[in-house]
Amino acid sequence: MNFPMENPIFQFLYWLVNTPGNGGIAVGLLAFFVIGSVALALRWVATGANVDERETYAYPTPALHHAPEPSRPRHGVRR
Amino acid sequence: MLKVDTKDKETLFDPLFRAGFGFYTLIGVLLLVIAWGVFLYVRQIILGLGVTAMDRPSYWGLYMVNFIFFIGISHAGTLISAILRVTQAEWRRPITRIAEAITAFALVVGTFQILFDIGRPDRLLFVFFHGRLQSPLLWDAFSVTAYFLGSVTYLYLPIIPDAALMRDNLPENAPAWRRTLYRMLALGWRGNRTQWIRLERFIAVMAVLIIPVAVSVHTIISWILATTVQPGWHSTVFGPYFVVGAIYSGIAALFIAMTVMRRTMHLEEYITERQYRNLGLIFITMSAIWFYFTYAEHLTQAAGQLAEEWPVLAAKLWGQYAGTFWVMVVLMIIAFWVMVIPQLTPRSWGRVPVFRPRFTFASALVSAAVVALLLAPQAKPVVADISSVLPRGVLVVIAIAFALLSGISILPWLKERLVDSMVIASACVLVGMWLERWNIVVPTMTHPRLIPYSAYGPSLTEWSLFAASIALFILLFAIFFKLFPPVSVWEVMEGRIIDQTQSAAKVPLPEPSEQRRPVPSFGSGRAGD
Repeated sequence: MNFPMENPIFQFLYWLVNTPGNGGIAVGLLAFFVIGSVALALRWVATGANVDERETYAYPTPALHHAPEPSRPRHGVRR
Repeated sequence: MLKVDTKDKETLFDPLFRAGFGFYTLIGVLLLVIAWGVFLYVRQIILGLGVTAMDRPSYWGLYMVNFIFFIGISHAGTLISAILRVTQAEWRRPITRIAEAITAFALVVGTFQILFDIGRPDRLLFVFFHGRLQSPLLWDAFSVTAYFLGSVTYLYLPIIPDAALMRDNLPENAPAWRRTLYRMLALGWRGNRTQWIRLERFIAVMAVLIIPVAVSVHTIISWILATTVQPGWHSTVFGPYFVVGAIYSGIAALFIAMTVMRRTMHLEEYITERQYRNLGLIFITMSAIWFYFTYAEHLTQAAGQLAEEWPVLAAKLWGQYAGTFWVMVVLMIIAFWVMVIPQLTPRSWGRVPVFRPRFTFASALVSAAVVALLLAPQAKPVVADISSVLPRGVLVVIAIAFALLSGISILPWLKERLVDSMVIASACVLVGMWLERWNIVVPTMTHPRLIPYSAYGPSLTEWSLFAASIALFILLFAIFFKLFPPVSVWEVMEGRIIDQTQSAAKVPLPEPSEQRRPVPSFGSGRAGD
């Protein structure tokens, strides 16, 4: 097999990069995953408010990361 | 309820709820310029791209120049902010929001240039419906989409705690819609430990991810040009050259934006000379790298003298684009001079009477007059003027000498005014970088491969849309910073505590690695020594 296009992998790659519309699908998938990931991460940050911690801070310091672990979450309770 | 320092509230929050005559005048003027641009854009859609100066073979013109320029400016924010955050540069804190806002708005305005350029805006969808993965245009759509989404996220994340601070510290006269806005944007933020840890982790991840995306954006824009075989574009150095130019112009935009915010909102205590000095060092570094790439790019073209590339280079060096090329070079030299040389000047020079701005002004005028004389059309033989008495070489030397005198006499003034120096340098760099984009796009377009040469000068429609784009950028910036504080309040509060702690800490002397033996006193030596 001397000619690369006889190889199915190269045939697939050729189809992938040369087919009109594949690029749009790639951009759409990228946008979907980025927006989805960001939305999930924002939700993760927002649900941090449900953790039962009395102290709140207007700003953090590096020491906050080394403070003792919080008590267990208040399941189902949202402020 | 989250509490904010009274002084921070007065300086950063309260001005957001006051808008004077100047603000509304600015908004009105910007809207007028934008309205004029919209009118001409609609006219362009109706009449077609014939209203521009673009024609065969100059398919790209001012719109493409502006696209590259605005996307370059967008590197101000996210990239610089992300790099400084990753390297934990504490001085970044007061300027990150301004930088990130520049990114988001420059990307919006930059994307509009593509809409202008393709004529019918509905054809933008063709990139997605018919785009192939082998096309650099598609890569560009890919990277700009990723960069825009990432930048908006990166701008929004530090706003969450600030929105909560504003929600909890609103003045009583605040309109209801703003209360709703801050409540929604705060996402129920309480500021407990878990939320802070999660938010900072998210920001850290975004900071790392955004750097390669930002680099890819301008690299891919360069590949749109470099993957063709057009003379002057088919260069391997274009990727890093564009990225360096983008960061360079981005820092310039950041300097100007942060100075405007500093002066209009009286943020002198937040944005101090420390930010100017440290960012200035990065600016000087980028300037040196930009000169290096520019020289390397043109040297290889000049040394090769290929049949198709040489006319492009000649058009830049002494042909129809010599003006824009040499103005770019002069502006960049002035910027480098203004940034670097005053720092090397002894303070005592300020006492010498020659080093005064009025001498600078006078010398610059003489130099400009001589340059004007040199550039003026040659006098007819019957009319004698100074250029027929003095050889042109002498005039060139006089112009350079007075320009140098002008530059030297301003040095003590610049040394005393770091902020002004950086603004002057930034203005030179912004104009210079715009001209650089022009010098890359237009000379090649008018001197293409295999097609007869042409000339290109932008039409009124193109200039108007350029003005409208700048107006839109300023408008977005002005409105955004009427809604949100220009300084990330929580980051500044954190930085203040860190600074106080570090200044209170006493650094001990280093551990001695070797203790020197006591020197024997005279006469105490052993017998026989």
